[in-house]
Order: sequence, then C-alpha cells, then structure tokens
Amino acid sequence: MKKLLIVDDEAFMRLTIRNMMNHYDIEIVGEAANGVIGVEMYKEFRPDVVTMDITMPEMTGIEALKKIKAFDPQAKVIMLSSLGEEGMVIEAIRSGAKTFIVKPFKEKFFNQIIYDVLGI
Amino acid sequence: MSNGFVNEPMLDLFIFESMQLIEQMESLIIANERSGFYTSDAINEIFRIMHTIKGSSAMMLFNTISTLAHSMEDLFFVLREDKPQNVDYTDLSDLVFEGLDFIKVEIHKIRNGDEADGNPSELINSLRVFQASIKGQDSSPEAMNFAGQTDSHENPSPEKQQYYISKVSRETTSLQNTFQATLRFEPDCGMENLRAFGVVNDLGDLMEEYYHVPEDLDHEDSARAIGEQGFTLFLKTDRSWEEIHRVLIQTIYLKDLQLTQAQNSDLLNNQDLERKILLEDSSDKVSDSSNRDRVTRDFEGKEIHSAVTQQSIINVSVAKLDQLMDLVGEMVIAEAMVIQNPDLNGLELDNFQKAARQLRKITSEMQDMVMAIRMVPLTATFHKMHRIVRDMGKKLGKEVQLEIIGEETEVDKNIIEHISDPLMHLVRNALDHGIESAEDRQAKGKVQGGTISLEAKNAGSDVLVIVKDDGKGLSKDRILKKARENGLLYKSEGDMTDKEIFNLIFLPGFSTKDSVSEFSGRGVGMDVVTKNIETVGGSVSIASTLDKGTTITLAIPLTLAIIDGMNIKVGNSRYTIPIISIKESFRPKEEDIITDPDSHEMIMVRGRCYPILRLHELYGVKTEIIDFVDGIIIMVEHDKKSLCVFADELLGQQQVVVKALPEYIQRLKKISGLTGCTLLGDGSISLILDTAGLISL
Repeated sequence: MKKLLIVDDEAFMRLTIRNMMNHYDIEIVGEAANGVIGVEMYKEFRPDVVTMDITMPEMTGIEALKKIKAFDPQAKVIMLSSLGEEGMVIEAIRSGAKTFIVKPFKEKFFNQIIYDVLGI
Repeated sequence: MSNGFVNEPMLDLFIFESMQLIEQMESLIIANERSGFYTSDAINEIFRIMHTIKGSSAMMLFNTISTLAHSMEDLFFVLREDKPQNVDYTDLSDLVFEGLDFIKVEIHKIRNGDEADGNPSELINSLRVFQASIKGQDSSPEAMNFAGQTDSHENPSPEKQQYYISKVSRETTSLQNTFQATLRFEPDCGMENLRAFGVVNDLGDLMEEYYHVPEDLDHEDSARAIGEQGFTLFLKTDRSWEEIHRVLIQTIYLKDLQLTQAQNSDLLNNQDLERKILLEDSSDKVSDSSNRDRVTRDFEGKEIHSAVTQQSIINVSVAKLDQLMDLVGEMVIAEAMVIQNPDLNGLELDNFQKAARQLRKITSEMQDMVMAIRMVPLTATFHKMHRIVRDMGKKLGKEVQLEIIGEETEVDKNIIEHISDPLMHLVRNALDHGIESAEDRQAKGKVQGGTISLEAKNAGSDVLVIVKDDGKGLSKDRILKKARENGLLYKSEGDMTDKEIFNLIFLPGFSTKDSVSEFSGRGVGMDVVTKNIETVGGSVSIASTLDKGTTITLAIPLTLAIIDGMNIKVGNSRYTIPIISIKESFRPKEEDIITDPDSHEMIMVRGRCYPILRLHELYGVKTEIIDFVDGIIIMVEHDKKSLCVFADELLGQQQVVVKALPEYIQRLKKISGLTGCTLLGDGSISLILDTAGLISL
C-alpha cells in the first residue's frame, strides 16, 4: 500500500484529489490544510508521495517543500500550481520538487502523475 | 458540468469556500476603503483570495468566474508589485465589488443548478482599463485592444514574467560524450516549458555543458512550441548513454523520447552558458521568482485572519445537525418515557432513581452540547450590512457610519437565516427613511454624518438585536394619518400610547414613505420583518424620539427546539406553558374574583386586576372543574402585559421538545394561542401555548 499525503488549504481541492485518486493500492494517509501541518504530517506518516499546493497561508508550499526535503531528501513531492505561478514552479523544482501539475487538471493526468512518481 | 468526477459534496464545498472567501474579501475592502487606501497586507490577501477562486473555479470548469478572478488577480498583482501612487481607491473598490457581485451571481446560478453563463468581458475590460490607468498607460479600450478576449492564453500577460535560469559552467573533463535528446510531453499537460526546465534540472550535475531548443524556457510561446515540436536538448557529459537515458525516461508526462549520440561536438560551442531569459518587458529588473518569494516570506509568520479551514475545525452540513437535534429531542422524550413510566408508580426503587438521575444529567449535557454546536456568531450577518450601508449611502448621497456592537453574540444557525433578511430591511429603512440628508442634519444642528448602530446582546433566554439610527425619528402624526387613510386604526387615536402608534407600522399594508426608492419602500413593509421574526418565536419592538432617532429591537429566542415548560391539565388535555413566561401560579380565592357587567372575569392580585382566560372555554374542552377555587391560576406575562390562565391542575415542570403542529391541522385552520406541540413522558400529546398569542386574544 502506497501512502499519499494531500497538502492544500482548500477543502474543495482536497476533496477533488480524494475523488480523483482511485488506485486500489494507494491510501490517502492525511490531509493538511496548511504547510505547517503538512510538514508535521509528513514526519508522522512518512508518505510515499505528497501533493502540495503552492499558494497557502501560514506556510507556502515552497517553504513546506524545503522543510520536507530537509527532513527527508528522498521525499517525493508533486506541486500543484496554477497559471501565473511559473516563477514559483521553478523555485520548487530547484528545491527538489519531483514534478508539478497545472490546475485545472483532469483525473487522468492526476492519476498518471501519481503512478509515474510512485513507479507503479 | 462535463466533468465526470464532479459530485454534489464537491460542488457544495466549492460554493461554500468561495462564498466564504468573497465575504472575507468584502470585509477587507470595506475596512480598508475607510482609511482611503489599501494596506499591503490587504492587497496580498485579496491577491491570494482571487488566486484561490481562480484555481478552484477553473477546476470546476466555471470559466466565467475563473477568467474574471484571473483579471482581478492580475490587477492586484500590479498593485502589489508596482505600488502605484495614483490609485483612486474608491473606484477600485467599486470595480472590485462589481466583480465580486458578478461572481456571486454566477455562484448563485450554479447553486440553483443553472448554467453559469454570465459574460464577464465588460468587467474584465474595465479592470484592464483601470489597470492601465494606474500604470500610467493609454487607457482607452481601443489602445488596449483587449475587448472580448477571455482566454487567458491569448492575453498578453500583464505580469512581467522574468526569471533567471542560470547554469554555472563546470570544468571540462577529457572523457566526453555529446548527446541530442528530443522529448515530447503528453498533450495538455500544461507549462511544457517548465517541464523542460525540470528535465534540465533533473540532469543537473550529470551534464558538463548543455544547450536547448527552444532557448527561452520561461516564455508561454515556448510552452506551445515544445507542445508542438518537442523539446530538444544538446548536452555534453562524461556519463554513458544508459545513464542519461535512465534519467530522462523517468520524466513525468513523457510521451516520447529520442536520445542519440551527436556527431558534431561543436554544437555546444559559443553558447553562452549563463542564460538570462526575459519576457516582454526587458527593462524590468525584478525577477518574478524573487517577487513571489517575497510574498511567500510576507505570508509567513503573520497572523492571517482568514476563513482558512484549520485542522481542528470541520465543516458539517446543517442537515446533519438538524438530524442530530431531532435525535436528541427524541432521546429527551424517551428519557421522560422511561423515568416517568406509569409502571413505576408507587415503587421504591433507589438504584433505579440513581441511574435515572445520571441519565437525566447526561441527556441534558448532551442537549446543551448539541445546542452549542448549532450556535453561530452574528459576525457575518452583521458585517454584510457594511456593504449595504456603503452602497446605499453612496447612492443616496448620505454620509452614514455603521457601528457594530456585540457581533460575537451567538444564536442558533436556523435563526440566523431567519433574521438576516429582516435585519437588512431594517438597516435599509434606517438609511433611507431614518437618516436625513446632510443639509437637513446641519440645519438641525446635528453632526453631518449619520450613525446606524447594530447591537446584539444576550438577555435571559433571548438574544436582543438592536438597530438604532440617529435620524429624524418616527412622526406620530404621519403614522396616524397614514393609518387613517388605510383604515388600520383599531381604536380611537386619543387612547393610543406612543408604543401602540409606532406598532402600527408593523401592520400589513402600511408604508409611510410616499415615494418609492430603489432600496426600501417597494411595497414590502415592516410587516415582513415582524412575520419573519415571529416565525422563530421572536418579537419586534420599536421606540422613537422625533429628531433624535429610532430604535428597533428584535428579541429572538436563543434556540427553537427544546424549552423548559410547565405542563398543565385541562380535562383530558395537556398543555405546556414556557417557564420563561410564567410569573406565578396560585389557587384563587372566591373573594378575589370580579365579574364586570359584560361578564368578563377578572382577578384581583395584590391590588391589581388581571383578566382571566378559561382554557377549557377557549379550546372547548370538557372538564369537571369550572369553579375557579377548584382549579389553578397561572399568571403569564409577555411584553409587560399579563394574563391569568385558568386550568385544572399543574402536572410539573419538564424540558419539552417543540414540534410544529402537523400540517393538516395548520391547513385546516389557524388556531390562535398555540406555537406547537410536544410529546410527554407518558406518551400523551401536549399543546404548547403561545403566551403572546393568548394575551392578544
């Protein structure tokens, strides 16, 4: 069973991801509403993959990514970005994000990216 | 909605969160507008809100909302980055409010299951014109040439996107291979240019030197070019083909990869390895990435009073809470059925009594808890009024300030829904009819700006919501004149107290304003306010002083569902009187009873005379007890008026669950003096008396 952690300030996006994620072998181990909780949850659950929103209050996705990478350099983090965030995406990639997905995205793309990152 | 995965809860969440964000943004704007400019915190916050709405509406395929939100986001991006000085913040607020209204209308359509088909292009255009004006550019629409464009890809991005993608040249080693890699990504995967950047980044240290086509990786055009022609990378490395291939093949969304050993090793020569990539405006030296980063830091460590869902808070649908409430109600009844079970009569059951006490304690705690869960502060309801006061004040040319006191007071969620409209009506009335124009105020020697205050406070089992204005007050003469015209006078004018005169305006068909204005006086009178408040068991009272102002007080019960009641018996029927309205109960003495020539029965209590109401007569119940001395008198009070109710006997005090009278009875006829019914412990039905209704009989 692979573990997925969702970090997003919008309950709507978290639900969207939950609904899209339909692989029998992937379990959503946690949903964090901001970067701070996201980092805590990463340490607790050690997920195999994280989806991370970029723009969030309290702690942005980039900061959370850096903290997670500092804790676990092998962490696989997928950034959720929207158009207009190119600069942030570049920083995320530099900081060790595995890849990114552009909102709005379709179910197929989302699953593919997760499978690709997990190598399943 | 063509999205297969979209389901109801997602839509609900989208609507809920978006509306919350919009509300938050409105109050931000109102708060900032007052000070004449927007703080940078507010601009950041608004930017973030618009960004979020843009993203989630795009996910839901509500393009009208997302394009508009995108434009607003752009505008606030400029405000944030350029910090322009020549901004007319009033215009800005108007513009943003218009935009929010548009989004609200669209969301409303979505909620009703309609297509969100509004056309935001006009609004987007105004936003762009405004944006151009603050940047000091030619703001005529022709010059902008943006009209009608809604696809964000087609719009020249107003953000100066510019970032540096640099690569430090490494010392070359002797063992070198030169490869040419061509990658194609899945169509529609988005931001292909940055995916290419990701590839370059992944290879990172493996490469000694590299060069790629297209050269500019941060241009939207190159995203399209890569989408169409693929991304070609020439690289020099000391690694083997297999190693490079292994890295490249892991690229996410990779559709096709060609990796070949290049013949011409000079390919990379003369390529500047420090590549600075610019977009449209090359004079701007601020890199986008550092800009966004700065915002990132701004956000950090700062308390953001936002509607962000925190981990310790969950959103529950009201329907579920209603169900829980009903269940607790059933439990209260079941508890009474067990504890007051007739089978137990006359038995000495110490252990049972102990257990019963415990059960009662837990039930009542649970009840309190369920009630507490349903309590919502009036904050949002009150803050909505800011917008109304602002918009109306502007339209009517009146300078009005809204004061809010006690917004943290909590009431039941259901009640909030019922008082929101009446409150809006009262505030509109106060602004339209109450507050005078600036000249009139000056002539009267009042301060030029009027004040409307909204106050909420707890008083016993009621919450008082007070709407107060310092306007011209109610004119008794005009009210009486109007009432005469409309035939609403129910007793001679001379006999009426001030209160009774003022209360005339609550009667249906009463409206003193001669001219109908845009905001109030469209035939919807104060009677609607009364009706709404009475639905939740509340009452409205009014006080006014000429030229000083008017105060309207809404008294609303804290909760609807469970009340403390006194059960009484008349013949075979049971009635329940809310404890809160009972003053006293006593067995009357023959000599205190007075009967007037019209055979109205009254009773003298401590030198004062009170009318008596025989319940058995009112509801036609057969009973043996018709002499006052055999029964009991319960004195009830409402709104400073008292009445003595005559019944057979008291059965005892108990918490009862208020149920509405069955619909077929309500349809049949209106029974005065009843608010509902309840189930007693022995399974019998008790009718709950409405004190106010009884007194006005």
